[in-house]
Amino acid sequence: MILKSLPLFGLMGRRMAWLTQRQMVLAQNIANADTPSYKPKDLTKASFKEMLAPRRSAAPMVQTSVGHMQPIRRPDQFRADKAPGDYAAGLSGNSVIIEEELMKVQESHGAHRLVANLYGKHVSMLKAAIGRDR
Amino acid sequence: MDLMKSIKISAAGMRAQGERLKVISENIANADSLSPIEGGDPYRRKIVTFQNVLDRTLGADLVKVKGIELDKSEFEKKYNPGHPSADEDGYVKQPNVNALMEMMDMREAQRSYEANLRIIGVSKSMLNRTIDLLR
Repeated sequence: MILKSLPLFGLMGRRMAWLTQRQMVLAQNIANADTPSYKPKDLTKASFKEMLAPRRSAAPMVQTSVGHMQPIRRPDQFRADKAPGDYAAGLSGNSVIIEEELMKVQESHGAHRLVANLYGKHVSMLKAAIGRDR
Repeated sequence: MDLMKSIKISAAGMRAQGERLKVISENIANADSLSPIEGGDPYRRKIVTFQNVLDRTLGADLVKVKGIELDKSEFEKKYNPGHPSADEDGYVKQPNVNALMEMMDMREAQRSYEANLRIIGVSKSMLNRTIDLLR
């Protein structure tokens, strides 16, 4: 049995991938908090509808030579767009608000913890079904 | 692993802010450095500029120090005819360092540094949480 083939575990895996990538984008925003004319980015919100929809089979381009360039965004990655609400641009054209970014970081941290706990709980349920003494 | 990437991005940000702090301390230390020759120019304030660079191995925008430039503003003149670096009219050029401005810059650098540090902490705890699933 492959855990990932269970819909619930597959969903949790995708959610974790989304949160991990969001963390990366937010780290980028914070690191560039003082870079002139930098605009903060964010991932597009993962919607329930999209999760239920059958996934597009993204065929990646094959690298047949070492000289071939790799696409910047791999097909399994999520899309990072300019964050909405670009209103705090100062003189330097930078519109990163550190507090707001840190809020988002805490939010994804909490969501990540939730998914990890859920995962652990479900694995222990499966273990209980198997009947291993604990 | 993507969480390691976010730690690396924050580390690059911290390095850039450290560089900035170095330049600020240089400015403050030289706030009274006058010209060694008569009527010459004193210490000129330095400004650090940042830019974001796409790191191809990480696939993310890192921050790097673009360069350290000189502040082109005018020097203030002070009347002090007895001073060794005074010009023939008795004026001594003062460095264009404003201690208040440097302090504000320093606070900003400190704030950004702390935010980067916080990101590293959160990323680390997320990573640990994922590893704990193995238990």
